[in-house]
Order: sequence, then C-alpha cells, then structure tokens
Amino acid sequence: MNIRYMLIVLRKELKDTFRDKKTIFSSIIIPILIFPILVLALGSGASDMLEEEKRPIEVAIIGNENTSIFTYLKKHKNIEIKSYTNPEKALKDLKIKAIIKIDTNFDETINENKTVNLDIIYDESSQKSAMAKPRLERIIDEYSNKILEERLKALNIKPNILNVVNINTKSVTIKDNGFALMMFSMMLPMLLTIWSAIGGIPAATDLGAGEKERKTLEALLTTKASRVSILLGKYFTIVIAGIMGTLASLLGFLIASKLNPDFLGSGVSLPPSSIGIIAIFCVGLSLTFSGIELAISFYARNFKEAQTYLTPLTIILLIPAYLTMYLDGRAIPEVYFNIPIINIISIIKEVLVSVINPLHIFIVLLWTILYVSISIFITVRMFNKESVIFRN
Amino acid sequence: MLIELFNLTKNFKEVKAVDNISFKVNRGEVFGLLGENGAGKTTTLRMLATMLKPTSGKVLIDGSNLLDEPEKVRSKIGILFGGTTGLYDRLTAYENIEYFGLLNGMDKREIKYSINNLLKDLDMNEYINRKVGKFSKGMKQKVAIARSIVHDPKIMFFDEPTSGLDVTSVRMVHKFIEKLRKSGKTIVFSSHSMKEVDKLCDTVGIIHKGKMAEVTSLSDLRNKYNDLDLEEIFIEIIGDKNEH
Repeated sequence: MNIRYMLIVLRKELKDTFRDKKTIFSSIIIPILIFPILVLALGSGASDMLEEEKRPIEVAIIGNENTSIFTYLKKHKNIEIKSYTNPEKALKDLKIKAIIKIDTNFDETINENKTVNLDIIYDESSQKSAMAKPRLERIIDEYSNKILEERLKALNIKPNILNVVNINTKSVTIKDNGFALMMFSMMLPMLLTIWSAIGGIPAATDLGAGEKERKTLEALLTTKASRVSILLGKYFTIVIAGIMGTLASLLGFLIASKLNPDFLGSGVSLPPSSIGIIAIFCVGLSLTFSGIELAISFYARNFKEAQTYLTPLTIILLIPAYLTMYLDGRAIPEVYFNIPIINIISIIKEVLVSVINPLHIFIVLLWTILYVSISIFITVRMFNKESVIFRN
Repeated sequence: MLIELFNLTKNFKEVKAVDNISFKVNRGEVFGLLGENGAGKTTTLRMLATMLKPTSGKVLIDGSNLLDEPEKVRSKIGILFGGTTGLYDRLTAYENIEYFGLLNGMDKREIKYSINNLLKDLDMNEYINRKVGKFSKGMKQKVAIARSIVHDPKIMFFDEPTSGLDVTSVRMVHKFIEKLRKSGKTIVFSSHSMKEVDKLCDTVGIIHKGKMAEVTSLSDLRNKYNDLDLEEIFIEIIGDKNEH
C-alpha cells in the first residue's frame, strides 16, 4: 500500500463526490432540512391543539334548563352551549364536542345531599372531542367541589380537612424544561447513529457500482497504484461523506431547536470530553458502515442494483435506533454494551445524561475496533475478487 | 522481445475463456488480436494489463513477470478501451488526464508538460478545461487516449478502440496509432474488424473460442493463403477450427 496513491485517490474522489448534485442533496441538504421541517410540521400540529385548548368547548345540553348546573355551565367562559334538534348527529359532524345529559331531578338530589348523575357523551374517534372530555370533567369537578364546600360548611367542617398530603414535585434537571431535554436525549442518539452509518451511502453507491458502470474502474486498475491504495482512498471518501452527513444533520437539529425550543430544548451544553466521546463513536460507526457499504456497492453490477442492496441497510439501522429510543441513559442494561449499534447508542445516551463510565467506553471501543477491522477486511477481499469486480 | 506469452490460460469456473495461448511481440511492433466477439481478446488483454490473474501460464513484459511484479508491469503499459471511454464526467478533461498521470507516478509538472504535448497532437485545446460529461463520443475518445498515454508507456494495449465511433473519430484513432508506431511504441491491438487489422498491424494473431488459431505476419499469412483477402483468410481459418 502506498499512502501517496491513497491520498491522490482520496483527493480526486472528494472533488468528484462533492461536485455531484445528487450526493450534495442527499448527504448535506436533506440532513440539514429534515429536522427543521419535522419540527415545524409537528409544531404547527401542536399549536393547533394548544389553540383548541384555549377555545370554549361547544356542547349541547339535554335535560332541565332550570337547574343550577345549567346556569353554571352557561355562565362558564370555557363553555359555549349550542342548540341542535339532533345533538347526536351534531356530535358526529363535530359541530359540538360533547353532549351533557342532566338528570331531571338534578337540583333536588343535590339538595338532599345525595350523589347525582351527569353524563358526558363524546366521540372517542375524534381528537378534538376526546380533548374536550377531560376539560369538561375539570369544569364539572369545580362545580362539584363548590357544592362539597357548601355541604361541609353546613356541617361546620373546614373544607381543607380533605387535604391530607400536600405533594410538591421538583425535578433535579434545573436547566431547560424537562420535556425538551427528554426529547433531546431521545432524538439526538438516534439521529447521530443513523446519519453516521448511512450518511456515506450516496458516495459509496457512486464510488463502487457507479465506477463499475462507467467502466472507469478498469482503467484505474491498470495504473501503478495498488488495489489497496485505490480502495482505501475510496473508503476514506465515504467516511468523510458520512461524517459530513452527520454534521449536516446536527446543524439541522440545532436549527430545529432554535425554531421550536419547546419541542427540542434550546440546546444542552456538553463538556468537551463528552463531545469527544460521542464524536469518536460516531466516527467508529462511519468507519464500520463505510466499509460495508463499499463492499456491497462493489458487489452490485450497476448503480441501480447497489441502491437496491443498500436501501435495506437504512431499515436495518432503524430497528436498533427505535428499540433504544426510550432507553433511560441512567439505567442501561450491561448486555446492551455488547450488541452492535445498540452499544454505541447506549454510550451516547449515557454521555448525554453525564454518565461517563470508563468500563462501558472501553468495552464499546473494543467492539468498534473489531467491527472496523472486519468491515475493512471484507471490503479488501471483495475488491480483490475478480468474480466481484468483473461480475458484469 | 518485449511481450512474451507462454501457454496462457484463463478459466471462469468451467468456461475456458483463454486456452493455452502463446505468442511474442517484438519491440516497436503492432500486434493485432483478431477474433469474433467472445473469442477471448478482451480477457487476454485484461490479463496482460494485470487486471485478471491467469489460471496458468507465464507472461513476460519487458523482462518483468506479470504475476511476480504486477506494479512494475503496470508502469510500462497504457490501455485504451473502446465502446465506453471510462472517464469521470464531473472532472474536466485536464483533471481526468492529470489523475491518471498522478496514479502512474508522475508529478504535476511532468503531467503539465505531457498534456501540453498531447493537446497539440489530439487538438483538444478548446475543451481541455471543460467537464467531460457533455462531450461527444469522439471528444471523449481523444481524452481517453490522452489519459492512457500521458505517462509515456512503452507498451500500449488497445481493446477495440474504434467500437461505436463515427468515421471521423475512427480516422483520428487510426492516425494516433500510426503516430505511436512511428515513435517506436509496441502496440497490442484487439479488433474484430479485418480492415482495421489489415491497415494497422504488422503481425496478427487469430483467436477463436479462446485458442490461438494462427500467429504470423500479415505478409506470411497472405503468402500462405494465396493472397486472399484477410476476411476470407479469417473465415477459412475459423472454419477449419469449427470443423475440427
């Protein structure tokens, strides 16, 4: 192997790869845009829901209008009473969010200090109607508490006698809001792992199968450069493309967190050592997958075939990424540090919640070195096989 | 002798693509490998260019054994394929040629000097700094020629170099081969065109179904077959072989 030739191939491949609009689009532009678009879409859906929460609930009331509950609901700012000849149809058509059915002897039953029935009819299949249900329950609870207070007062009992334990909750996470942090530690490891692994696919497809299809590989094999030099030049191009894809997706993530801080948090500050650990393992993942992708690409007869073989790789990666999405960074089972891909996600999750466990890092580092070695070994073997290179 | 093949064989699983062929090419000679499609011409050239490993046999190129010193062999050869020119569309003509010069051990100054000479020979001045993606077939073939010769190899392999080209481009390739011959290069040339071989080659090897049916100079071949046309000689030879 001659490093000079490897660097010549690397320089040329980088120039060629980043002149390709398809690669720029799929390796840089898409990763930058995907998170901001996702957050904006989710954000607009969420703000619709928030708006709905603020609006008065349209309800139809069946039963005696001369009751205290009817007057209470009529006066309530969060209730808008509508009148329909067929309230059930109005609910189905979502003209109203719920129907409230009041017992005929509502006030009499209350005055007798008994429990009275009230029905809330809603449509579980409608998100807006389902959201109205707990809001209505809270409003009726307020009414119920008012009556309860009056009953206790009549018995000369202080209403606070019903409060036995006063619960105060406090999160140890002082910075940012908890939901945002949770989303951050859920999404970031997934994003880093997926892009580190698949970010190099467009480049790998072009550098292996693309080169075979264009017949440029044959001319390349007749130069003074050894096959290993050529292969490593291509391999490191894919690694760099993968890292650039990861950095682009990180940039997209940062843009998204600025666009919607409530959703992803306004950013978590990590110490340089944590960033270093995360970077090492992301590069490890890129080194492993770049080799596999290049080997698959060389095996394929043409560009299309390579795309067919490489697409399932993305789906395979999504499985461990989703499996570990809800994994708690402070309570990761030991076995997870020995499972490919999951072990790298686990380390990133630990580091994000400030858990730096040297043993875990050492175990995963050893595994990563093994994966990278196997990946390069397979790729070199593939590239030296005539039946693979001249498969056409 | 600059190129010597001894009982060269290449099997692809059960298929014998090249079967025990032997021939020699003198320094400065143009050797034509003539045969039908699938006769074994490309496989032979691929073995000579170290792209494929022979199953058995021995090849010496300028005294270097192909199997023992493949990198040394590669530094002495240039290869040009027909049909597809094998260029990088997103690189300029200059960058394409420069890349292969660098991979053949040249430095940038040497490459610049060599390209400047080739620009005159191949009349590529107008488009040398343009990306090759939108070039015509003829323009691409000129860049491919320049790429294969930039490092000034002693030996040139041409694998059906005029395949799919128009008349003007074919003439340009023929003229270039003539020029290389005059400059003393040794050329191994594969073709299924009798006219081309007749026009350019000193010696011809007729290859049929992987076997070398005849190796001789064009003049000896004509004497042997009573001054017949090369096409008729070819049909007679492969006809004989088919009967056998």
